[in-house]
Amino acid sequence: MSCITDILVIDDDKDLVESMRIILESRQYGVRVAYNGKQGYEKIEAKIPDMIILDVMMATDTDGFDLAYKLKHQLEYRNIPIIMATSFPQKMAEEGSEKFQHILGESWPISHFIEKPIDPEDLLIVMEKILTEHKMEMNQSSV
Amino acid sequence: MQPGYVLVKEQLFFRKELIERLPWLIRLRWAVVVFGFAGCGASYLFWQWLPLPLLVLLSGVFCYNLLFLFIWRRLSPFKSQGVHPDSDSSFIRAQDVLRFNIFAHTQISLDLLALCLAIWYSGGVCSPLALFVIFHIILTGILLQPLSCYLYGVLVLLALGVLLWLQQGVHSPIFPLWYQHVILPHDGNSVANDFIGIVRYATLVAAVLITAFLVTTLKLSLRTKGRELLRLSKALDASNTKLTALYDMVKEMGMSTESKVLMDSATRLAAGIMGVKACSIKLLDEQHKKLRFASTYGLSEDYIKSKESIDIQKSPINRKIIDGAVYAIGHIEERDYFAYPEDIRQEGIASLICLPLRVEKRILGVFCVYSGAGASFTESDVQFFALMADLTAMEIEKLNTQLNRIWFLQKAAHQLRSPLHAVISMLKILQKGYLGEMNVKQEETVQRCEKRLELLDSLVKDLLSLSIRRTALNPDALHRVQAPEVLRVLSGLFESQAREKTIDIIFRIDENLPAVMATDRLLDDLFTNLISNALKYTPPGGKVTVCLTRAEEGGIRLEVTDTGIGIPEQDFSRLFSEFYRAENAKDFTETGTGLGLVIVKEILDQLKGAISVSSRIGEGSTFVCHLP
Repeated sequence: MSCITDILVIDDDKDLVESMRIILESRQYGVRVAYNGKQGYEKIEAKIPDMIILDVMMATDTDGFDLAYKLKHQLEYRNIPIIMATSFPQKMAEEGSEKFQHILGESWPISHFIEKPIDPEDLLIVMEKILTEHKMEMNQSSV
Repeated sequence: MQPGYVLVKEQLFFRKELIERLPWLIRLRWAVVVFGFAGCGASYLFWQWLPLPLLVLLSGVFCYNLLFLFIWRRLSPFKSQGVHPDSDSSFIRAQDVLRFNIFAHTQISLDLLALCLAIWYSGGVCSPLALFVIFHIILTGILLQPLSCYLYGVLVLLALGVLLWLQQGVHSPIFPLWYQHVILPHDGNSVANDFIGIVRYATLVAAVLITAFLVTTLKLSLRTKGRELLRLSKALDASNTKLTALYDMVKEMGMSTESKVLMDSATRLAAGIMGVKACSIKLLDEQHKKLRFASTYGLSEDYIKSKESIDIQKSPINRKIIDGAVYAIGHIEERDYFAYPEDIRQEGIASLICLPLRVEKRILGVFCVYSGAGASFTESDVQFFALMADLTAMEIEKLNTQLNRIWFLQKAAHQLRSPLHAVISMLKILQKGYLGEMNVKQEETVQRCEKRLELLDSLVKDLLSLSIRRTALNPDALHRVQAPEVLRVLSGLFESQAREKTIDIIFRIDENLPAVMATDRLLDDLFTNLISNALKYTPPGGKVTVCLTRAEEGGIRLEVTDTGIGIPEQDFSRLFSEFYRAENAKDFTETGTGLGLVIVKEILDQLKGAISVSSRIGEGSTFVCHLP
């Protein structure tokens, strides 16, 4: 088993994806990329990542949410932490649950919202925090 | 409404007249007593002759009128609940009406008896008082049923007939004709002349019967007209209720910010107004090939599922409705209307109206109401429902236009901001040295690029926020919000920003402030814009004070004071204009979209708040907001 943490970045903006790849690779994360929800799901099926960084609006206005929702309903994928990148993090966090009612009633699938344009340091801090918490949770559940 | 109930209500409406006339009758009797006594007095004064029997009779009338007055006062408490046609206790009122009827009959019978006695005492059939029976017949005709009027007429004539028989038979007249005997010269023959007596009596009979006929005919005609008026007033009432309900429906639909909410209001309210069990809106898909339920009220899940998607080509009825036809079906089972009538039967639908939802020539879908009773729709129901359908279609279209506008704005903002964010992210990578170290000049240039792009980003964000706020659609449903909680969340963020700029920021937030009608986001935007403005235009080493207190006039008061560059007095009037920045503000910093205060003003307008500004150049500014 590889000890490199595998991060899947799903965003339709190739420049932004490349920026994230540079930031993440600088910390020795393994980075895979996809440019829409469908591609992203295929990559997840091929190999379950340790974390997903997901854009909200891609092929459709709710592509990111749709994928997150789909993942949360599958036992093998439901524990993958998801960071959602959006230009309106506050709005999404407040209204997301109302706007995307098909998600409501289930557990809210997003671990964290991060604002675009992405600040490299903020992103790394958030990622490390979530990954640590996730590891602890996994350890506890396996015990 | 039950037909019996309607009948009782109608009868009560007409009995009202009787109940209103009863005290009038008592007052009229007082007048008769007064004039009677005055007449006796005059007779004594001019002819020194006192008609004693008449005085006794008048005293009797006086006594029983007193008794009637007493009874009326006992009965009158029923009057207020008894005559109002819209009150609900109709059964009790019907009983009360019976009491009033008996009361009226008693009064009229006693009056007629008194009158007959007066005629007898004053000379019999030939007495001038005999004419007064006519007035009684008129009175009975007005107050009581036509049959009673004829009955009293016949009774009076019988009584007068007996008098005539007494006068002309073996019995000599008991009392002389006073007016001929005392007041007028005596001719000595009138009483004895049988023929004259019979002729006078016959004339009286004719007069009484004609009066009874005229009065009852007139009364019946008036009553028919009254009934018609009552029916018209009821129809008007019903129309008014429907129109008021329609107005409320349009108002509720107008307040909806989502299509689903709007259509759910429409189906729920339409079913209520039309008094039917169910209602539905089916919308056409983009290809105009299928109809799908967009909203239903009162229909079962199974029914909705069975008709989830209707292919227009396979449904001749829906095809015709889409082409503009109105379908009002009185009996579902009468003809072979439907492909699957058993579904409709199972749903308990017996009749329905289906209409196209149309905006000008464009068809949006089909609007239907379903009734459990057969033939429950009239022509006017269909017309009214057509009006309702047109208004609903207009509201759906209006909301869709607004939602499309907002969608376009959001999409445009997203498209504009995406490349900006990508460029800013790449610049941050450069700046933070992920792609190797830069020299000072390169770093400065990248920083400047980043700042300009961030300004552009803020501009797009502010423009989007403002444009959405200015669409007629108001996306924020106001509720009670604790402003201190919102400000406390923001204070940490601003404290770190102030530290970076070496500005001293102080927050004074009072405890136990009243909640205000707002949303967390509106308050957040309001506070953020005002405080970040103060921080932006205050030089390092300065001070910003934010006080949130209870307003004297009620509500809360936010005061943001800075020791910044201040605002020139001539710029005060343009402070809340789009893209306006004071000259000293532009000189002080390049960042700033000129939209922050416009957003503040619009939020305050939405929250029915107010803002005031005071400032001195070089000393600072104070913005005071009041939120009710």
